[in-house]
Amino acid sequence: MKLYRYTLNSSRRVVFYVVIGLTTLFLVAGFYNVQVLQENVYRQKSLQNSVKVITQTPLRGLIFDREGELIVDNRPSFSVYLVPAQSTDSSIARVARILNISEKEIRKKFRRSRRFQPVKIARYVDQKDLVALQENKLLLPGVEWRVDPKRNYNVDEAFAHVLGTLGEIGENELNKDSRFEPGDMVGKKGVEKTMDEALRGSKGYKYMKVNALGQSVEEIENDQTADPYPGKDLYLTIDRRLQQYADSLIGDHRGTLVAIDTRNGEVLALATRPNYQLSWFAEAVDPEIWHNLTTDPEKPLFNRSIQATYPPGSTYKMVAAIAALNEGIVSPYWSVFCPGYYRIGRRIIRCWKGGGHGEVNLTSAIRGSCNVYFYQLGTRIGIENWNKYSLLFRFGEPTHIELDSEKGGLVPSKAYYDRVYGKDRWTAGMLANIAIGQGELLVTPVQMAQFAMMLANAGRYYQPHLTLQLVDRITGKTEKPTFPAENIPVIRPEVFSAIREGMRQVVAGGTGWRAGVYGLTGGGKTGTAQNSHGNSHAWYIGFAPFEEPEIAVALVLENGGSGGGIAAPLVGQFLRRYFYFQGKFDYAAERVYLQKLWKQKREEARMDSLRAAGVVSPEDSTVIELEN
Amino acid sequence: MILDRIKSLDWLLILPLLGLLGMGLVALYSTSQGASAIGNHFQTQLWWMAMGLGTMAIVSLLFPHRFIYDLTYLVYGLSVVLLILVFFFGLKEYGATRWLSIGGKTFQPSELAKFATLLALARFLSDERKDMNDPKNIAIALAIIFLPAGLVFRQPDLGTALVFGVIALPIFFWVGLHTRYLILVMWPVLTIFASFNTFTFVGIIIAITVYVFFWLKLSSITRILYLLVNIGVGFAAPMAWDQLQDYQKQRLLTFWNPEADPLGAGYQIIQSKVAIGSGGFLGKGFCEGSQTQLRFLPEQHTDFIFAVIGEEWGFLGVLLGLLLFALFLSRLVYLASIFKSRFSSIIAVGFAVIIAFHMFVNIGMTIGLCPVTGLPLPFVSYGGTALLTNMAMVGLILNFYRHRFEY
Repeated sequence: MKLYRYTLNSSRRVVFYVVIGLTTLFLVAGFYNVQVLQENVYRQKSLQNSVKVITQTPLRGLIFDREGELIVDNRPSFSVYLVPAQSTDSSIARVARILNISEKEIRKKFRRSRRFQPVKIARYVDQKDLVALQENKLLLPGVEWRVDPKRNYNVDEAFAHVLGTLGEIGENELNKDSRFEPGDMVGKKGVEKTMDEALRGSKGYKYMKVNALGQSVEEIENDQTADPYPGKDLYLTIDRRLQQYADSLIGDHRGTLVAIDTRNGEVLALATRPNYQLSWFAEAVDPEIWHNLTTDPEKPLFNRSIQATYPPGSTYKMVAAIAALNEGIVSPYWSVFCPGYYRIGRRIIRCWKGGGHGEVNLTSAIRGSCNVYFYQLGTRIGIENWNKYSLLFRFGEPTHIELDSEKGGLVPSKAYYDRVYGKDRWTAGMLANIAIGQGELLVTPVQMAQFAMMLANAGRYYQPHLTLQLVDRITGKTEKPTFPAENIPVIRPEVFSAIREGMRQVVAGGTGWRAGVYGLTGGGKTGTAQNSHGNSHAWYIGFAPFEEPEIAVALVLENGGSGGGIAAPLVGQFLRRYFYFQGKFDYAAERVYLQKLWKQKREEARMDSLRAAGVVSPEDSTVIELEN
Repeated sequence: MILDRIKSLDWLLILPLLGLLGMGLVALYSTSQGASAIGNHFQTQLWWMAMGLGTMAIVSLLFPHRFIYDLTYLVYGLSVVLLILVFFFGLKEYGATRWLSIGGKTFQPSELAKFATLLALARFLSDERKDMNDPKNIAIALAIIFLPAGLVFRQPDLGTALVFGVIALPIFFWVGLHTRYLILVMWPVLTIFASFNTFTFVGIIIAITVYVFFWLKLSSITRILYLLVNIGVGFAAPMAWDQLQDYQKQRLLTFWNPEADPLGAGYQIIQSKVAIGSGGFLGKGFCEGSQTQLRFLPEQHTDFIFAVIGEEWGFLGVLLGLLLFALFLSRLVYLASIFKSRFSSIIAVGFAVIIAFHMFVNIGMTIGLCPVTGLPLPFVSYGGTALLTNMAMVGLILNFYRHRFEY
């Protein structure tokens, strides 16, 4: 056997060297690109890869009423999480079946999340389902559960609109704050929403090193590691008993009652009906209930106290009166004869009292709510003055009470009329109309309560608010927020005295006499606002006691009818309850007084009939003084 | 006498080799650490390495020089038979039939067939009277290659089958194939890649026409035939593509765009790039690579072992590894050029090509420059069969070196 000789061709060897060299250089360039040029990109990815953040939900702050009664607290509840990297098709299908949720929903949530970050797929899992998960743990790779407290309400629907509800965070809110994660619960309405920042507390973060199987290997301390910090406890200005009582007074009406402490602007009651059961929202809302709530024509989810705008009717007459007096357009003694109607050009507008009020001045016009007087006043004041005083009393802008989606209402101005009707194409009739609180003018009930407070205080304004104090549960530190307060400029004290005297007489024998409380004086004004939705809205605004006011109240009942007949007595009831709690009113004494009064009336009637029959002589009678 | 023989070994080949073996052991030690280590590959590989070095020593120092030449065709025949046996009795795993079970030990015949084919090819071409530019000789040489290569391709094992194909041209070139023929063979390869897009396909056919009709002096019939063959290849390639297994297609496609399927086929490439990239210039340090230690890096002891080096030793470690490979390969080529025996020379060059192809495809794969083919990194990846055969081949080259002046 012979082997053959190889003769070297050195140029071919060089070709091989060159190929080896180029190949090596090509790889070196590739690694240089990845390891040197793009090092930071991959270093970041490598960190994300192997670190799992465990978020610990803090306890949400509790909510108390002004007396320190616990209204809302938290109850333990479980949420179920799924780790995308560890879950399998079968575990997703199985967990979806146990929890009765759709697989598609779970996969949708996966799309937004990182491989090792647990994704919340269900909250408020009940005991039965949790047991089922525990039993099947081995068949459910990637499934985890954690304590995730839910809200527990010690009060009923009377508080629904004030407290509001929690809900899963939406897409928009998520992008606002990097601390939010999908699945977080945030306030959606009411103080839960406006005070969310304080109530929320701060999350705890634990960083765990995980391996490719998602198993936690060890905890890593870094500058973002933190323990959860509970939210602050919120003490509301609301009095639980008054709130509940106000709610019961409204009853089957659609309406709202707002009561404000005139000495500081604290809102004592803010009741709105119809409303809803808070417990429906403590867990995921039943779809049927949600459907009913959203389709109900009475709109129970609508917070009428701040979101509804109504024509205020006669309760707004004080604005025109103050404007006229303060601008010197009329004096308190200026009087008008009310025949029951008023003629502007070819139009005739009627006063509510068919027979007319006769000769009325400012005080008696307020007392009797005479439209004819205010028609004339309105045409004299002019739109600019009326608008100026409306804005001084902060109509046309939200009150900034701590509730979301508050409306500002509408205060027409000259510019507004020019825009709507064309320049100078609108008539004096419109002025007459807005002077009695009709026409385009729209207000919210909380604005009216604020108005009543400013009248009670003869011009002193406090921003209505719901927050009494916030308490840090860990440090025990109490934080009392301050709110704007000021005296309304421009308006002279004697103007307020005249107006307040009119309001006193409304209660003392005027249209609002049914709002009177035995043993106390007060001021008020009724309103019966015509509207395009049926019966008139029944309004009453008032305050008491007259000399040193403590409380201002506004009540509106949608399509409730007469302000004096329907609204005023309810406010009377409410004031009785308030002063009863203050120790300034005695139900028993009033009963005794009324019984005596009725007995006397019966006696009088009997005497009258006896006199008529000639049994008793006309001199034989006793009179008991009526007090108001 | 043995000492004289040891002194006569080529240490310029052995030193880079020992460097590579050392790097492999260090990386394997790292993958065997930590709470989530899969198993102690380090220990096992240490034994394989001892056996490999022993084999190398025996083959280089004690093997009769010409014995191997005589056994060439026998070994070739045996490996083809084994491949056929795999076809009928092989173990099926991951959708491929590649392994034979002998007494409970599994064994991959394609590993042996790679080198048996090289030996057979070397023997066939070692006759200097055989003109490498004679079509008949080319045809026979290709037949020697494609018999086992086809069987391996059917397993299916695309990566290893490519290794067979890849040795042909460099060897033909080494033993005297005209450069113009080399270029003529390269055109169909380019055509295959160009055929998946109409514009590139038309472009390449025009380029071939220009080259064949205006550059070379050939008969018209040959020119037209060559053009038709290229067009035929162009049409056949997309059809052959359809014949590929789904996972093979997936691997090739994912290579172009790993981010398209981050949790599926692209996962390996992404994790490997993250491991290497996060290593930076200096690396994270021995046993400190989080991607490796926390098992994010898949197949880290076999296919992706170079990513472990990249993560823990950084760009410097990578440079050292590539340098060692370049030194080893250049030395092989140099040795091939000084061997007086044509047989030895062809084997040395063929071995260099096989190692280079493995190295390029495997290392390129770790940073996404090559598709994931499942080829291990020679001398570095975990695995007994490959290490033993490679070391035996090095032993053979060293043996030839001792007898470099003979022919």
